[in-house]
Amino acid sequence: MLSRSRCLSRNFGRSLSAIRQGNNVLTRIGAAAISSSYPFTLRNTVKSDPRSSVFQIQYFRTSFAYRDEVLTIKTPAFAESVTEGDVRWEKAVGDTVSEDEVVCEIETDKTSVQVPSPSSGVIVEFLVPDGGKVEGGTPLFTLRKGPAAPQAAEAPKAEAPTAAVPSPPSAPPPSPPPPPPSAVGPIPTTMPPVPPVPSHAMDAKPVSAIKPTTPAAPVDGGAKVARTESRVKMNRMRLRIAQRLKEAQNTCAMLTTFNEIDMSNISEMRKTYKDAFLKKHNIKLGFMSAFVKASAYALTDQPAVNAVIDDTTKEIVYRDYVDISVAVATPKGLVVPVIRNVEGMNFADIEKTINMLGEKARKNELAVEDMDGGTFTISNGGVFGSMFGTPIINPPQSAILGMHGIFDRPVAVAGKVEIRPMMYIALTYDHRLVDGREAVTFLRKIKSVVEDPRVLLLDM
Amino acid sequence: MMEMLSHVRGTSAFFRDSFRTGSCNTLTQVTRACSTLLTGSSKGGLVLYSQSSDVYDNLSLEDWIDANVDLKRLNVLLLWRNTPAVVIGRHQNPWKECNLSLVRRSGISLARRRSGGGTVFHDLGNLNLTFFASKNAYDRQRNLKVITEALRRLRPGLDVEATERFDIFLKGCYKITGSASRISRKSSYHHCTLLHSADHSTLLPILRSSCQGVHSNATPSVPSPVANLVDHDPTLKWEALLDALADQYSAEFGGCGTMNAVNPADESTFPGLSRISAELRGWDWIFGKTPKFSIQTLLKMTDDLSSAGRTVRLHLEIKHGVIESCSLDVPTCWLPPSLSSELSSVLVGQRFCPHHTAVAFSMLLRCESGEKQNRLRRLCDAILAVMG
Repeated sequence: MLSRSRCLSRNFGRSLSAIRQGNNVLTRIGAAAISSSYPFTLRNTVKSDPRSSVFQIQYFRTSFAYRDEVLTIKTPAFAESVTEGDVRWEKAVGDTVSEDEVVCEIETDKTSVQVPSPSSGVIVEFLVPDGGKVEGGTPLFTLRKGPAAPQAAEAPKAEAPTAAVPSPPSAPPPSPPPPPPSAVGPIPTTMPPVPPVPSHAMDAKPVSAIKPTTPAAPVDGGAKVARTESRVKMNRMRLRIAQRLKEAQNTCAMLTTFNEIDMSNISEMRKTYKDAFLKKHNIKLGFMSAFVKASAYALTDQPAVNAVIDDTTKEIVYRDYVDISVAVATPKGLVVPVIRNVEGMNFADIEKTINMLGEKARKNELAVEDMDGGTFTISNGGVFGSMFGTPIINPPQSAILGMHGIFDRPVAVAGKVEIRPMMYIALTYDHRLVDGREAVTFLRKIKSVVEDPRVLLLDM
Repeated sequence: MMEMLSHVRGTSAFFRDSFRTGSCNTLTQVTRACSTLLTGSSKGGLVLYSQSSDVYDNLSLEDWIDANVDLKRLNVLLLWRNTPAVVIGRHQNPWKECNLSLVRRSGISLARRRSGGGTVFHDLGNLNLTFFASKNAYDRQRNLKVITEALRRLRPGLDVEATERFDIFLKGCYKITGSASRISRKSSYHHCTLLHSADHSTLLPILRSSCQGVHSNATPSVPSPVANLVDHDPTLKWEALLDALADQYSAEFGGCGTMNAVNPADESTFPGLSRISAELRGWDWIFGKTPKFSIQTLLKMTDDLSSAGRTVRLHLEIKHGVIESCSLDVPTCWLPPSLSSELSSVLVGQRFCPHHTAVAFSMLLRCESGEKQNRLRRLCDAILAVMG
């Protein structure tokens, strides 16, 4: 049915242009006159159809359009005796085009010819499908003449921004004045004095007596703030991630335990060996390898953290291998490449693997098997400056280690206060499987390895 | 063969020395210099040689000249060549035209040009010529005559003939050029390849589609037997060929006859060219401009446990390189229908590209386990293999 009505309007288009070109007299006749005479011509050109009343309705629509000047644009003549070509549409039906803007290309044997619009307006209909064959003179499309597209400045505010970040308000509220700097004095050694108790009770006022005061009229200081909002549809990826996160939260009994690491030793080790490492292995020595190796060591020591509950069969699956997923933020979202069999790797191997995966992620070449599986995840919030936080488990695993930023802090070392570079680490774990003692021991193991890598050699 | 290879390698030194080039002037200087030599109302010809062998930069240079040079006053011939690249026509389907994973693995570039026609393979032994003219002066036979006359002058008695279909054949049966052109609103260009010493051995596996079940009305490629000029006359040197072509072009179209070296990466000579080049390198141009097509194929899944294979029917509709709709018919005994419908919905809206889709699949796979996960992974791998 659809094709028939399309064929019909195509006939209308052709007969319309024929009327325009041929019979100028008709243009002067009023609509009423045309409506009375047209059905007769119609019955001649089109096969009889019981729904002739629909034709009249359709006709009225096109005659209306005719008065708004609908042009039919034809295929240009081909050069050098070429007879036919294929149409490839550049624009879509309903698009507004300006004069001379390319609407489609005709591809003849080895030549691509652009077909521009003769005037500005809105594309009404394509008379040939994409890839369809046309000859010189074949009607291509119809265009309703009109003004060109409005300026970009007038784009409606409700238009969804392409970036996922919601548009910030045009005038940010003035930041609160900074608190007055507190007087820094010696650490108090006595308790502060207790304020005296008032001798008699306060005058009690019934609530009704308190009249609400109208707030002072806001000082019209700043610029007028826009109060529009914009709605952006959540894309599939985001919906899926949201769904998975909630599922993880609902099935696991998640809680987090914390500890802190003194990064002085590992920083010093890195400073001492980084040049030689770079020369030998051709990649930089970072901190990730220490944490990955420490985690692998701790996971082999505490197999429960490396295991996972299979909810369907109600079994605990203990894995004899350690695959560590490293969470990496990319413009496309969170990507989690996996380092396989870490228990057998040394720091250099780990750095090389991380480097290789990072290159692949950057070049968009990560395969499914690179991101598949993993028994434990490490997430580094420190690169963004986070100090402290609770990571969320990445299903179907049982635990995740969150690394945070390294900040100089005063700590107690051998009875004295010293400034050390400290990092908080967090372990979120599934309490159904891992109990408190195991989680804390696990985290302490990581701490001891990173604070003194010799622990690995001595298997302490 | 060895001689041919050493010749190709040696020509990189050739760029720097050489043939009668003007120094790298700005295009306006060059144009002005040439137009002062014009007499009366005759239009002049200008011969340019691109110093770049990057296919995207050279295609952008063509675009730039087409848009910015007044071709009513001047005819331009651009000579260029590229490091190994597969160049598909404007309305072709890259999944149908070549083996995408092999192209990627071999480090060969894939580009979509703006003119129509079929797929060609470029390398440093293939000379590209672009004849720029105003829309009214568009005459492909005249352009091909420049090539045949130049060749005959270099090697009298060489049997080269231009056909009605705008090809040039050597000895009546070997095609040595392929043409394509583009007619814009005010200007036109006709470009063709000229096989001097190209390497055909790598051609066949690259230009064989790796994608099964592609149903598309994109422009097809018509393969034909080709030959190199050096196969029939090993003494024909690259520099001599360029000189002969430049001379013949000026004899036909007027102008100085010197070849002017231009560098498309030079932003001061060609302002805005880097923007065109960035567009031509993007996924949206190379893959996104593919006319609407569909994939209808059967994927054979074999289990490790049972020897009986399962067949999964896959039907994808792809528009602008993005999967518009997906229908996945998986036997319910093999995978639960909830999982297959999830997989389907992951595919809709994804680019038809294995890398982009791999990330989405990995998320789905992470949440399954055991045999279901294995089967799902195998299905995902098979679907990704379809994407090239």
